[in-house]
Amino acid sequence: MGPVGKPDPELHEETLVSLPLDARKMHTFEHIGSLAAVAQSFTPRKTRSRLLMSIYIVLIKAKINVLLPFGPLAVILHYLTGKQGWVFFFSLIGITPLAERLGYATEQLACYTGPTVGGLLNATFGNATEMIISIYALKNGMIRVVQQSLLGSILSNMLLVLGCAFFAGGVVHYSKDQTFNKATALVNSGLLLMAVLGIMFPAVLHSTHSEVQYGKSEVSLSRFSSCVMLVAYAAYLYFQLKSQPSLYNPVDGEERQNEEDVDEEDVPEITLWEAVSWLAVLTIWISILSGYLVDAIQGASESWNMPVAFISVILLPIVGNAAEHASAIMFAMKDKLDITLGVAIGSSTQISMFLIPFCVVVGWSMGKQMDLNFRLFETATLFITVLVVTFMLQEGTANYFKGLMLILCYLIVAASFFVHIDPTSSDD
Amino acid sequence: MGSEREELEIEMETLVSSSQSIKETPTVEIPHNISHSNVARSWTFSRILEQLWKSTKVVIFTVKINMLLPFGPMSIILHYLTKIHVLVFFFSLIGITPLAERLGYATEQLAFYTGPTVGGLLNATFGNATEMIIAIYALKKGMIRVVQQSLLGSILSNILLVLGCAFFTGGIIHSKKDQVFNKAAAVVNSGLLLMAVMGLTFPAVLHFTHSEVQYGKSEVFLSRFSSCVMLVAYASYLVFQLKSCHNLYNPIDEEEGRNKDDSDAVEVPELGQWEAISWLAVLTIWISVLSEYLVNAIEGASTSLNLPMAFISVVLLPIVGNAAEHASAIMFAVKDKLDITLGVAIGSSTQISMFVIPSCVVVGWIMGKHMDLNFQLFETAVLFITVLVVAFMLQDGTANYFKGLMLILCYLIVAASFFVHVDPADGNV
Repeated sequence: MGPVGKPDPELHEETLVSLPLDARKMHTFEHIGSLAAVAQSFTPRKTRSRLLMSIYIVLIKAKINVLLPFGPLAVILHYLTGKQGWVFFFSLIGITPLAERLGYATEQLACYTGPTVGGLLNATFGNATEMIISIYALKNGMIRVVQQSLLGSILSNMLLVLGCAFFAGGVVHYSKDQTFNKATALVNSGLLLMAVLGIMFPAVLHSTHSEVQYGKSEVSLSRFSSCVMLVAYAAYLYFQLKSQPSLYNPVDGEERQNEEDVDEEDVPEITLWEAVSWLAVLTIWISILSGYLVDAIQGASESWNMPVAFISVILLPIVGNAAEHASAIMFAMKDKLDITLGVAIGSSTQISMFLIPFCVVVGWSMGKQMDLNFRLFETATLFITVLVVTFMLQEGTANYFKGLMLILCYLIVAASFFVHIDPTSSDD
Repeated sequence: MGSEREELEIEMETLVSSSQSIKETPTVEIPHNISHSNVARSWTFSRILEQLWKSTKVVIFTVKINMLLPFGPMSIILHYLTKIHVLVFFFSLIGITPLAERLGYATEQLAFYTGPTVGGLLNATFGNATEMIIAIYALKKGMIRVVQQSLLGSILSNILLVLGCAFFTGGIIHSKKDQVFNKAAAVVNSGLLLMAVMGLTFPAVLHFTHSEVQYGKSEVFLSRFSSCVMLVAYASYLVFQLKSCHNLYNPIDEEEGRNKDDSDAVEVPELGQWEAISWLAVLTIWISVLSEYLVNAIEGASTSLNLPMAFISVVLLPIVGNAAEHASAIMFAVKDKLDITLGVAIGSSTQISMFVIPSCVVVGWIMGKHMDLNFQLFETAVLFITVLVVAFMLQDGTANYFKGLMLILCYLIVAASFFVHVDPADGNV
């Protein structure tokens, strides 16, 4: 893949840095292989120009990176002023472009590793931002924030992102109902229902005061259920990647269709090692900002006079999912609803069946009492939302009315969390 | 039918070689509609013994599961010799398993003589005779929570564990394609299960929200009314199933039709009509006896094993009680006859939820016990979400190993929840 892609950046580089000698060298050796080319390029000048090239592609080319300065601004604000509200808001906006670039770097890496491992990468790191934020919150012992932010991510994916996508796509293609692959939607809905089952039992057990050991039983049950859910998610990945790849991976179909279209993601724009290093750099950057973000939640809640629940469930995920949101809407308008569903529902499934149990297990290893008892109100909200979305998806068509209904449902959910706080007594 | 009786007679001759029977061979050529006279003719002492021996051989000695039969008497002996409740519990449980299976077999055999309609009715009523007998014994002892939880556990194990194992093994063996089954029957059964959930939810929520007119009495009244309604619904379901769309809802008939040439199929009854009835009676009595010891040992087993009673009633009792159905469901799934599997698993759940549970309420009403449909909030919520998950899985009419695995994993979560569940000490919930 390397040498094919290289001439373009090289020519570009010429206009940028004007090193014609190196360009001619590249063309001569282009048949040897990318590794040789990379080795060839290990001169200080080359490295610097490669670095600049990389930075250009990853950080400057996409328009979303306009928001990048907000990150450092947030850190500065944290130390200069004590205004937690601003720190929270700025770090949130600063994380958005990083999350998007992280997704981009994962995609690029997936080009090199092939569809299987690529799918696995996407499945694991698709929600890396949420994972990092959750682990930070968990380390701080803010268990409710973890539960609520993950719940909010699921809700915003299933209702807001999907609703906006259906609405936008339906308005653009209003002469017909858009269709999508029913089988994938059904499998994902089934998994979401299973996740609801896993989350419901500890909550009901706790709220009916019917556990064997008050306080300890649901944690043990949650840990067991989390392991079971992780096994289910692994089986789902295996099932998805092994059987019927054309049925469950329509992106392959997309690539086949667009083989002549060089603008598509087929051609990786950065090399394998660049992708890996960017992944590492962006992850570290996100982790740093997440630290400030999580520390600022409590203060932001007080200064803005909003419940912490609202901030965790609504604000955090909306901004965190902004990039996925935009891409889902874009694909819906291009009438590629399968990709939209993969982004929205696939992300929800990943969070509910992988991320949440993973956080429980991580909390187990950290010694924190993270459990699946999301408290009755949150569990009921999740339950009815999954039911509504499952019902909407089951016939395999979409139109603007379905989209509008999903968006309005999200407004109701958001309003409920605007007036929701955890009861101060020990039992709920 | 006549030729089969002839075969049986000839076999008996080779077995017992009594000169008396040889003289009676000419009478066997007379058509089968005078089987009564055959029976009357054969009521000599040795004849009875031969028939008894033959019957016993067919019913008891031909099937491997009957190796477990000695556990029954052993548990009774243990009950009187030692006071170890755990052993009595387990032995009686294991002892009931083959009896339940043989009861199902005897019911099948009887169904041959009564025709498909009454046969279907028989299956529908006595299919879960074991659960019904155990429930009535527990009811007599006033262990209402045990009744509720064991019936609930039977439903859960049928729709999650049995169905999941069947889908999983069938899917692994037929891994190249999705197995299909009759969507219509599955949807009807799912609808009935949802109606049962509704019947169970209202008394529970009424009680939990403390919004009944007369605390304690209202839900019993509501439960009794709902039970009558549910029994009416079940009766009309039977009428609907047996009358209209006969071949749509009774795939076993299709099976028999296809296998007409296959003499190994279930077509040939192996017992006489009266034999079947008497075996039914004998097995029922035997099961009742063992059930009594079983029910008496539950509490003792719970304390010595240090397991919540809920776990024993919901998980352990049904797993062993359903063992025979479990094995047959998996076998049919492996043979790619998913409709029969669904009939066994989902049909059994529907039967328990819409027939056995309301019957127990009515029986409790007659006995003067306060059995009601208020299964307490946790059990009702578990049933609700489980029925939803299963109804969703079944609605597209296909099955693969992943669906089976998901159902099994859901059952693991359910079982784990009951492992840490006790009824709250105060009478609040």
